[in-house]
Amino acid sequence: MSNRPKIIAVPLLLGSLIVLTAHASLAHAASTPYPQRIVSLAPSVTETLFALGFGHRLVGVTTYCDYPAEAQKLPKIGGFINPSLEAIAAQRPDLVIGVNDSNHPVKAREMERLGLKVALVSVNSVDDILNSIKSIAYMIGSPEAGEKLVRKIKRQFDEVQKRVASAPRRRTLLAVGLRPLVAVGGRNFLDELITLAGGENISGNAAQPWLNLPDEYVVAKAPQVIIEAGMGSDRGRVARNWRDLESIPAVKERRVYAYPSDKILRPGPRIGEGLQEIARLVHPECFAEAKPGFNKGSGCEGSRP
Amino acid sequence: MKVLDRKKMILVNGVLLALLALSIVGCALLGPVRLDLTQALQNIFSSNPNSEILFRARLPRVLLGVAIGGGMASCGVVLQALLGNPLACPQMLGVSGGASLGGIVGLIFFPNWLLPLAGGLLGEISWVPLAAFLGALLSMLFVYRFSLFHGRLHPYHLLLSGVIFNSFIAAVIMFLNSIIDFYQAQGLLFWLMGSLSTRAYLTVAFIWAYIIFGFLWLWAKGLSLNLITLGEEAAMQLGVETGQLQRQMFVASSLMIGAMVSVSGMIGFVGLMVPHVMRLIVGSDHRLLLPASFLAGGIFLCWADTLARILLAPAELPVGIITAFFGGPFFLFLLYREGRRTLAL
Repeated sequence: MSNRPKIIAVPLLLGSLIVLTAHASLAHAASTPYPQRIVSLAPSVTETLFALGFGHRLVGVTTYCDYPAEAQKLPKIGGFINPSLEAIAAQRPDLVIGVNDSNHPVKAREMERLGLKVALVSVNSVDDILNSIKSIAYMIGSPEAGEKLVRKIKRQFDEVQKRVASAPRRRTLLAVGLRPLVAVGGRNFLDELITLAGGENISGNAAQPWLNLPDEYVVAKAPQVIIEAGMGSDRGRVARNWRDLESIPAVKERRVYAYPSDKILRPGPRIGEGLQEIARLVHPECFAEAKPGFNKGSGCEGSRP
Repeated sequence: MKVLDRKKMILVNGVLLALLALSIVGCALLGPVRLDLTQALQNIFSSNPNSEILFRARLPRVLLGVAIGGGMASCGVVLQALLGNPLACPQMLGVSGGASLGGIVGLIFFPNWLLPLAGGLLGEISWVPLAAFLGALLSMLFVYRFSLFHGRLHPYHLLLSGVIFNSFIAAVIMFLNSIIDFYQAQGLLFWLMGSLSTRAYLTVAFIWAYIIFGFLWLWAKGLSLNLITLGEEAAMQLGVETGQLQRQMFVASSLMIGAMVSVSGMIGFVGLMVPHVMRLIVGSDHRLLLPASFLAGGIFLCWADTLARILLAPAELPVGIITAFFGGPFFLFLLYREGRRTLAL
């Protein structure tokens, strides 16, 4: 019986400790107006902070945050879906930034109960992504850095748009896995990027952002370009996978590509570069200045004879 | 033991066979995209979209579905008799877990390895199903060894070691899932959910040969299976070599399950439910129950996969969702009706 009070005392003590540290960090936040110790819950947020020039304020990132290389050296707070509250709290952050999909809203409520300040940004569309960059810049007290970065991305967009403006739209399949075939649906910023790149997403009418497509649908939609943007995919394998469906124009015309990078898959500051990559695959003739004559009659505005 | 009713045998299997043939044709004609049949049949050898949809995208898939459905159902029948447990199903044996782990290791570590067949003349096949089958064989040996005492396989040990082995494997899979890349994890989950998507007739032919062989082996033991459902001792007194029968049936069904999970992942519910439904309809004489379950399982999975392709078109649903969603309530209804009838007697 005598140790009963001790058992109760331990959580009480721990609880007050958490409250105290929370107060301490709030007090700290009050004295310096902008967050100095930031934890990122998503690779795109980490990339955004580095791109804004505030990577040094990060004190915790997910295990998936591998870009830029400096991000890999930062303390890890768990995965994208399962960040560890303990690991986050241990960094005594004055701001935690996550994204609005996944389970971050639920995690955010738990973190707020621990007294942490949490901000969530939406990244479901291109506009969302640009706004998320601006609002992250605003939160860290450098709105002009945000404006500058967004201007840079928009310039990249404009440049691509100019090149593909009058090129014919190509029906495009953008997939992240072959077996089973997982493709980009509607309500996905990648669907918008395909359109901006002068393509037309063959599964853009789907309600889901990602969907598992049956082969027959791909044959019926006859894509002119097939891109597999999964990790570790090689072009030979992707091409072999489609080899037997010769009626698909992309297969006949050898426009089946593997894109072994996640640059275009992350809703972060590299979407401008991602768009360029997609556009290069959808309309290679619009980017082929080196080969005069190759793009004759392609209708590419930006390509020079 | 009652003499096998030949008329019933021919009638039941004849009707089911006709339904299966209709289902194969029907499922090959139905899908999320419209198919111009005359176009498809006119130019079989030139590449036109209609013939590719029918002969490359749909038909191999439908045929694979029939083989897997039939194989799962007949393995379910045998396992329920062998283990004396109505809950026994192919997913319980440990083999399926081993196959999943093998497949996932292949998927994570050698996703781009391809094995050329006959020096590349017959195309290439992925290592993933081979790794899965290897996993199935190893786990079969493991579970077998842990349930074999004094030359006899013990049903309880078989069931429990299978279930425990599967939970252990599930933990390993979840562990692998939490350390791999985010996009790989996505693919892994889809693989685990199971799919009949295939365009390789060679794979389909392999699976058919395998399943037919296994099925004939199981069917040949139909009479002994009838006796073993009376209890092991009764069967022994009636002249059944129960030890040998159990070992043979375990190996035969494990090999079949391993091959099936290797190509289509874990498609649940067919192996559990179809045997029970058919037992309620045709009775529990295994000489009839086995072929009837094979045919019914084929019909069921064939339609389930067609629904999976159509319901949320253009998105494809995991076929396991359909098998459980439509099979479950139907099974409960039959069970309830049967219970009311027998209690009223």
